[in-house]
Amino acid sequence: MMFGFEKGTTQVSLSMPPADVTDIAADSTQAGPRPQPIWERILRRTGRAVIVAFWVMVVAFMLIRLAPGDPVSAALGGEASPETVAALRTQLGLDVDPITQFWKYLWAFTQGDLGSSLLSGVPVTEMLKTNLPVTLWLIAITVTMTMIVSIPLAVFIALVRIPALPYVFRTLTAIGLALPSFLVALLLLYQFGLIWGIAPIFGYEPGFPANLHYLWLPALVNCVVLVPVLSRVLYSSILDTLDEEFVETGVIRGVKSYRFFWFYVLRPSLAPTVVLLSYMMGVMVGSTVILESIFALPGIGRELVTAVSMRDYPVVQGIILVFGVLVVFLSLLGDIVASLLDPRVKLT
Amino acid sequence: MTLVEAGAADWFDVKGTTPKGKQARRLKDGTIGMIVGGAMLGILLLMGILVPLLSPYESDQSVDMPFMPPSSTFLFGSDGLGRDVFLRVFSSVYLDLGVAFLGVIIPFTLGTIIGIGLAMSRSKKLNAVVGSVIDGINAFPLLVLAIALIAILGPGLQSVVIALSLTNWARYARLSRTRAQVVKQQGYIEAAQTLGYSKPRILFKHLVPNVSSETTAYGLSDLILVILLIASLSFLGLGAQPPTPEWGAMISDGRPTLQMAWWPVVFPGLALCWAGVALSFIAEGVTRRERDVKS
Repeated sequence: MMFGFEKGTTQVSLSMPPADVTDIAADSTQAGPRPQPIWERILRRTGRAVIVAFWVMVVAFMLIRLAPGDPVSAALGGEASPETVAALRTQLGLDVDPITQFWKYLWAFTQGDLGSSLLSGVPVTEMLKTNLPVTLWLIAITVTMTMIVSIPLAVFIALVRIPALPYVFRTLTAIGLALPSFLVALLLLYQFGLIWGIAPIFGYEPGFPANLHYLWLPALVNCVVLVPVLSRVLYSSILDTLDEEFVETGVIRGVKSYRFFWFYVLRPSLAPTVVLLSYMMGVMVGSTVILESIFALPGIGRELVTAVSMRDYPVVQGIILVFGVLVVFLSLLGDIVASLLDPRVKLT
Repeated sequence: MTLVEAGAADWFDVKGTTPKGKQARRLKDGTIGMIVGGAMLGILLLMGILVPLLSPYESDQSVDMPFMPPSSTFLFGSDGLGRDVFLRVFSSVYLDLGVAFLGVIIPFTLGTIIGIGLAMSRSKKLNAVVGSVIDGINAFPLLVLAIALIAILGPGLQSVVIALSLTNWARYARLSRTRAQVVKQQGYIEAAQTLGYSKPRILFKHLVPNVSSETTAYGLSDLILVILLIASLSFLGLGAQPPTPEWGAMISDGRPTLQMAWWPVVFPGLALCWAGVALSFIAEGVTRRERDVKS
């Protein structure tokens, strides 16, 4: 009982003839009609992501125009003369009908033009070149840290089977989900940055090993929320996998333990976790807005908050578009990785 | 596995944490969570009424020296303007929870109507277009969309509610459309049709209750996210404006002086966590019960 099964594996091996075992294994991995080749499914899923990305563009476009209130007078303040308002309207291309505006917006987008800041005149794409890498690194480091902690934790809990652990786990998840990330960030920054002095309070250096020094603490804040949720899902999915017939087959066939563990248990169990991680990262991308403000990181989240307080709405539109596309991309990546890990995952 | 469902359901989905076939025990788990959560929420709501009522001061009145540490007269100390943190924390209860409730109930209603409408309509074009808009909105992190909308609406709690109503409905619409498509094909709907019940009766007595039972469970967990979202927006200076007592705004207020005085930040933060954990336990209990009823 090396893996702490509830079912007696020896019993199963006695009652099941070898021929059936292979049948069942084939059955459970290829349920339903024959799956398409993997590249075809990935292509199809990518195509769908591109369509969603298009609608993301539409939403980013409509949002600014359909919202109650007028962005131009909001940007200029109450005292602006009608001439100034009209001039800005023309400059922003708001004086033509929405359909023409949309085509212009799409055309400019294909030319790599997302408009320019109202205040500084800097093109939004230029701002993204310096700001986007910061946010992407933060996401990458968060994912890495979460996986490094969650996978061993979940495996340990699934294999050790202490009766009280699920309850502790459930309570921790409930608490983790209810913790405001800005509060966690403030307190960690206070403790690590000011009291212990092992993390910088502000500043940033681009480039990989250098930025790690500035990003590990914000990534840790995300981990406080992500680790309980993810290890809990991975844990229950390992338990589900252990119930599957191919695991029994593996035990019966006497697969060597590390191979057994990776190919038969962990690999299929990771698939739902990866899908959830990519979804959670979508949520976390939102919280980078707050983290970047607190840790004074020059990412696109902080840029968004600045642009909002300045009412610099071409920048707002450009940045939310990038955020939307980023989330679409993350979920695409999550689905593809999940389907590579477990071919039974359906790419819709 | 759709993403929204993965996010909404899997947080509370711990298959295998309890042995299969022990229905009674699972029901008990859910109940305990709901009792604990309900008690925590009840205490908070009660304090929210009692503290402002019994306190001799006003929430924006200076009652003491600035930055006095917690003492027996002022349990949570005083903030940078000498205001009673204890009173301010509990004065915020109904504001924070009330705005969050509005920010959930409006999108919930809108989303359910749109979702069921889409599932009922026979027009493929309408379904494709609205469905794509829903996907487009859902692709954005809620916080990012809300911030962008506040850029136009201007800061304030009213804008927060409008921003939430304009964006969050899409999540409910998607959930209720999927659910309505399943419910529509159930035997009991067919039975009701065979019995010759009127369309409104089938819609309101059979379809809507069955669709909304699922969205309600999601709505509860969404309420937690919305509470955190409102506090986050206020923290960024986009929601509640000073001197309104609001947890996020209070934390933001106390942030520059955190090194000198921790109490104006930690106590509102604890209240926020308290509310979140209470609702989290209730949501988990409801979700588990829902599952038990269905299985």
